[in-house]
Amino acid sequence: MVEATGFLRAPRTRGIRHRLRILQVIVLAEFKLKYAGSALGYVWSVVKPLSLFTVLYLVFGRIFKLGDISEFYGLALLIGIVLFSFFSDATNQGMVALVHRESLLRRLRFPRIIIPTAATLTAAMTFGINLLVVAGFVAWQGIVPRLDWLLLVPLLLELYLFTLGTALILTTLFVSLRDIGQVWELGAQLLFYASPVIYPVTYLPPWARDLAFLFPFTQVLQDVRALVLYEDNSGITVTAPEALGQFGRLLPIAITLVVFTFGLALFKRYEPWFAERT
Amino acid sequence: MSPGLPSGPDNLTPCGGAIDVDRVSKTFRLPHERRTTLKEYFLHPLRRTHYEEQRALQDVSFRVEPGEFFGIMGPNGSGKSTLLKVTAGIYRHDTGTVRVSGLLSPFIELGVGFNPELTARDNIRINGTLLGLDRRQLGARYDEIVAFSELERFVDQKLKNFSSGMQVRLAYAIAIQVDFDILLLDEVLAVGDESFQQKCSETFTRFRKDGKTIVLVTHNLALIEQFADRALLLLDGHVQALGAPGDVIARYHAQLARPAAGSDAPVIKAAS
Repeated sequence: MVEATGFLRAPRTRGIRHRLRILQVIVLAEFKLKYAGSALGYVWSVVKPLSLFTVLYLVFGRIFKLGDISEFYGLALLIGIVLFSFFSDATNQGMVALVHRESLLRRLRFPRIIIPTAATLTAAMTFGINLLVVAGFVAWQGIVPRLDWLLLVPLLLELYLFTLGTALILTTLFVSLRDIGQVWELGAQLLFYASPVIYPVTYLPPWARDLAFLFPFTQVLQDVRALVLYEDNSGITVTAPEALGQFGRLLPIAITLVVFTFGLALFKRYEPWFAERT
Repeated sequence: MSPGLPSGPDNLTPCGGAIDVDRVSKTFRLPHERRTTLKEYFLHPLRRTHYEEQRALQDVSFRVEPGEFFGIMGPNGSGKSTLLKVTAGIYRHDTGTVRVSGLLSPFIELGVGFNPELTARDNIRINGTLLGLDRRQLGARYDEIVAFSELERFVDQKLKNFSSGMQVRLAYAIAIQVDFDILLLDEVLAVGDESFQQKCSETFTRFRKDGKTIVLVTHNLALIEQFADRALLLLDGHVQALGAPGDVIARYHAQLARPAAGSDAPVIKAAS
């Protein structure tokens, strides 16, 4: 049996302040690395979602005429793409983070959770740049910011928590089962089309719509759209309460907390063996 | 692992670094055919993966007193690196206890896990921070790290362009800038050139004078003879000899002369 093992470390290595400092140092270095050495640099982080937007807008907005539903179809689509790109990038980079940094894991003792968290935060920085572009388009459409846009903060935090929880589950599984990489590539693609990013959620049959709102991403996306675009035209967009009942938002929020807690517990459970199994 | 002061049987002094490894065993489970793809799980869902149990450490016990220079020797694959990693808290041991008091700075597998894509500057920042340096300390010691490793001209180059000798110099320079009580060194001198070896020896002398605890794993027996207060010989995961460096080295030489040595040979136990 393993008896109590005591490690006396300098207080600052364990303190939350020092852990945040480690995160900051790693995230800044990795973010710089991601775009260093390419001619366009940070511009690439904007080019990817914008080109995907252009293609999808031309096909679905113009050819399939989804753009006729609302004057804001384009913006709603752009918001959906930017939010989903963050979810997809952060979970993918978080998933491989432990395996990619195995040389560090085998040489130093530090809280392993820093590694996948740093990967999701690096993706969050790209997300931040994309949000600036979205803000530019929103301003261009003549939409005036309101005080209740502050609600965007808890909504994006919810999305981050769900994303981090998913990444923690994926990265733990990926250590011993490399297929998870292929599985998640497919899974993320299916989730993209299963979520109302391209099409209005009202196009789904009621049962599918209710199901879609169990995915916390859908709830956040619809709330963000309603908050930013459709304040005056309620009824055009549907949020969780309209689908799942008065307290319908609590269900996806609860799912977010369950995913995050489960991801954290799973990660902690296998943390002692990451160094020898990656 | 509970944080806080370890309460060993003899109450280890909290000011200096000390290590107490007590009857520690560690087994690696190596899958026979690594089954890491889903197809294999689906094709043979009932067949459990066969693991080969590799016993890396068996019932290893030793103590390192505060301020002691402790040498560990043994042939390749005898469990030296595993022992250091268990001591550093990087691997989890199966049974036994490991108690460490004092801040420990590890130097394992020729380095501290650099990211080859990042510059030396960024790697110093990341690894220094991971080892416990805060922003102010890092700023104050950055120049010293670069100067010790003699890499002034290369700080903005990616680590992948560094030779292994340069990387080791940088890694060692970072490891010794931490305010450690215990320094764990795994073959630090293996790839360094003459001048770096000279520099390392000078730091050893300085650390001894400062009362730092040092555990050195090396194949360089002359180094152990020169610096170590006590030494340990590891063979097939067992402690074969523990005591005065001269005795342990003599035992190691005897062991090498005898090709198929049984592990039931009597163990030298010198009084510490």
